[in-house]
Amino acid sequence: MYNQTIVEIRNLQKKYGQKQVLHGINLEITSGQIIGYIGPNGAGKSTTVKILCGLISEFTGDVTIFGKDLRTQTLEIKKQVGYIPENAVLYESLTPMEFMEFIGEMRGLETEQTRAKAEALMDIFEMKANLNQRISTFSKGMRQKVMICSALLHNPNLIFMDEPLSGLDANSVIMVKEMLIHLAREGKTVFYSSHIMDVVEKISDRIILIDQGKVIADGSFDELNKLSNDENLEKMFTRLTGNTNHGEKAEAFINAFEK
Amino acid sequence: MIRFLLSLFVPFRWFIEKMGADYTQFIRILQLKLTMDDRRLKGLGNNSKKATENALMKQSFSQIFFGIFFAIFLLLVKSPFTYYYFAHTFLMVMMAMMIISEFTTILFDTSENVIIQPLPIKGNTISLARNAHVFLYLTMMAFNLSVLSIVVAMFKFGIVSGMIFLFSIFLNVLFTLFLANVLYLGLMRLASGEKLKNLLMYFQIVIAILFMSAYQFGLNMVDKTKIQDMILPVHWYTFLAPPAFFSGLVEALSTWLFDLQHLIFIAEALLIPPIAIYLTGKYLTPVFNRKLMDLEQGDRVSKVRIETSRNSLYFRMMSSLFIHRQEEKAPFKLMWKMTGRERLFKQTFLPSLGYIVIMMIVPFFGKSFNYSELIQSDRYLLILYIFIFVGATLPGALLIGNNQHATWVFKTLPSDSPAPYFKGFIKAAFARFFLPFYLVLTITICVIWGIKVLPDVAIALMAIYLFTLVFYYFQSPNFPFASEKLAGQGGTVFIKIMGLMAMTVALGFLHKFLLHWFDFAALILIPFYSAAIFYVNRTFVYKKITWKAVDKVNIYS
Repeated sequence: MYNQTIVEIRNLQKKYGQKQVLHGINLEITSGQIIGYIGPNGAGKSTTVKILCGLISEFTGDVTIFGKDLRTQTLEIKKQVGYIPENAVLYESLTPMEFMEFIGEMRGLETEQTRAKAEALMDIFEMKANLNQRISTFSKGMRQKVMICSALLHNPNLIFMDEPLSGLDANSVIMVKEMLIHLAREGKTVFYSSHIMDVVEKISDRIILIDQGKVIADGSFDELNKLSNDENLEKMFTRLTGNTNHGEKAEAFINAFEK
Repeated sequence: MIRFLLSLFVPFRWFIEKMGADYTQFIRILQLKLTMDDRRLKGLGNNSKKATENALMKQSFSQIFFGIFFAIFLLLVKSPFTYYYFAHTFLMVMMAMMIISEFTTILFDTSENVIIQPLPIKGNTISLARNAHVFLYLTMMAFNLSVLSIVVAMFKFGIVSGMIFLFSIFLNVLFTLFLANVLYLGLMRLASGEKLKNLLMYFQIVIAILFMSAYQFGLNMVDKTKIQDMILPVHWYTFLAPPAFFSGLVEALSTWLFDLQHLIFIAEALLIPPIAIYLTGKYLTPVFNRKLMDLEQGDRVSKVRIETSRNSLYFRMMSSLFIHRQEEKAPFKLMWKMTGRERLFKQTFLPSLGYIVIMMIVPFFGKSFNYSELIQSDRYLLILYIFIFVGATLPGALLIGNNQHATWVFKTLPSDSPAPYFKGFIKAAFARFFLPFYLVLTITICVIWGIKVLPDVAIALMAIYLFTLVFYYFQSPNFPFASEKLAGQGGTVFIKIMGLMAMTVALGFLHKFLLHWFDFAALILIPFYSAAIFYVNRTFVYKKITWKAVDKVNIYS
């Protein structure tokens, strides 16, 4: 399943009260790609991801995923989607095994199958020994690993990740990056929303930059680079979002607290 | 409002500084705490500011309403000393219960430590601000509860007497706060970390039940015919009873009575609370703070517990009894595990169960109790139907918890309706936390009245189950353990629930009426309840619990 259009977004808009967060996003995403979705704070990245995962149901515009309408066929879409949220908040009194059993059963997996998968996935993260300990005793990174495992339990074809590497140790970061590349090779699509530019630059087949609810750049890093000649994604990001005076700002900051 | 509350501390600046706190920092910390409360209240759920303000007002009104009953009782009391003694006892009991149920979290709240601890602030200042915070809330509560008693006292004993009563209430609040500190410190010496958290939870439950039983037994022992002329005799041990300090003070100052007995009361009332607060601030709070920091480190010092992944026989039995649809199975299992572990749930639910047990036992110890009359009567019906109140507490207890940000998981799963989740939740809570107690009740009733009452036990159980389901589906459809305790329910929901409860009481009377007709006439209720439960489970819940309704009250962040 390569190069098939699996996500189609037409004029996606979202308002929180009077505040317009998304101003008509138009995107077409094909399978087998890692999409790096970047933008400054408050640009609308998380809102887009939440809409696409079905967490926010009130929006305007048209979204189809796997050829199905997001408004009317949410259920069918959710069956093929995995989601890793920005903040790893889980029910603290549960253990990873209990949490994953719940997720697995709700997604129609057999309990034994879920258990076996949970064990295998957690083992890779070197957390097999923690499977039956309560999540309340875990560090941020450990919680994030539980979240990653539970989002992949049902072998989704489309994976939304909102800052998935947050809190992970260096080895786990490398492992997750490798895993994403492998998943894309298998034809799965990864929608990767992040602030960490060097990771996005290294793993993404396509980079979408949004600012103030609008797409301001879209293409592979090489394509975007040909247009601008920036030496890396970070430079491109700062230029396109209109924040090039970082040196001056840093100096002003130091002056402010040293006074 | 915050500015006004802070201004109340201005006259006590010297006292605050005497206790080793920095006054300016004290005020700033208190301001931060009050602002955080204010924001927390305003931000509860998706409701507007107006709704939250209503919740606070509702809380105050319910306290004033509760105070009405006590004021009516006090109307009968002629002696000022007895009047104020009862009023202060009532306040102390209510405040102790409030500290136990509501303020433990505030006393043990360490959420702002991340902001405050790195700053150069003395431990005394932090703990004094924490106590002042609880003191403010307790004072508001004490005032709400006693506002009508103050008015009654003004009419009965004069305006001055009422004003002095108001002053004595502040002293009472200070003293109760000291007692709470001493009690909690005692507990903190016994354990640390997770064990301490569990110990505190069970302590709160036991104390709440003890207070209720003392209250009920106390009321039962008072000879109501003599209330009007009741005069509390003063013995040597009366001088040790805190309510006597305050009532003696009010009586002495309002009637200008300064004999030795009253001078002792005045000295106790005026000296003990400030000394107690001084001791709290100077000596107890530093220890309290140290212990609190240990508590924060709890997860590191406690041995990590490994949960068993096996399901018990009881779980398997209940699962096959209650769950007939695949989609309810996982929520049932999830809730089964969580209800056993969520402290706030147990803290809310178990005391209610204890209260009911006490209310059921109390009549057996009355002076007019006659066992042979009892077994001839149908009083077991009353006992059975009283359990409806336990069923009524269960749904509310399922809401309360700190998991507001974990509910996103339900929304990401492929479920066309959230109803199966909610069905699984309430069934698990009912099976795990209601049925075992009902079973004990059944055995007790059968021992007293014989097994001939078993059909009635079954009918009452069906009525309670039906009521619990409907009650749960009527309340705000928040996912479990994701609402703050103060959130409360909307007024219309409250009215609906009261209506439902009245209806169930009516069903109890119908049951009683049918029994008087002929022995097994009540059996005709079985098909009625079966049909109603079937309808609620198959149709009603799907109409009531929709994604639209659920999305309105849950935040998926």
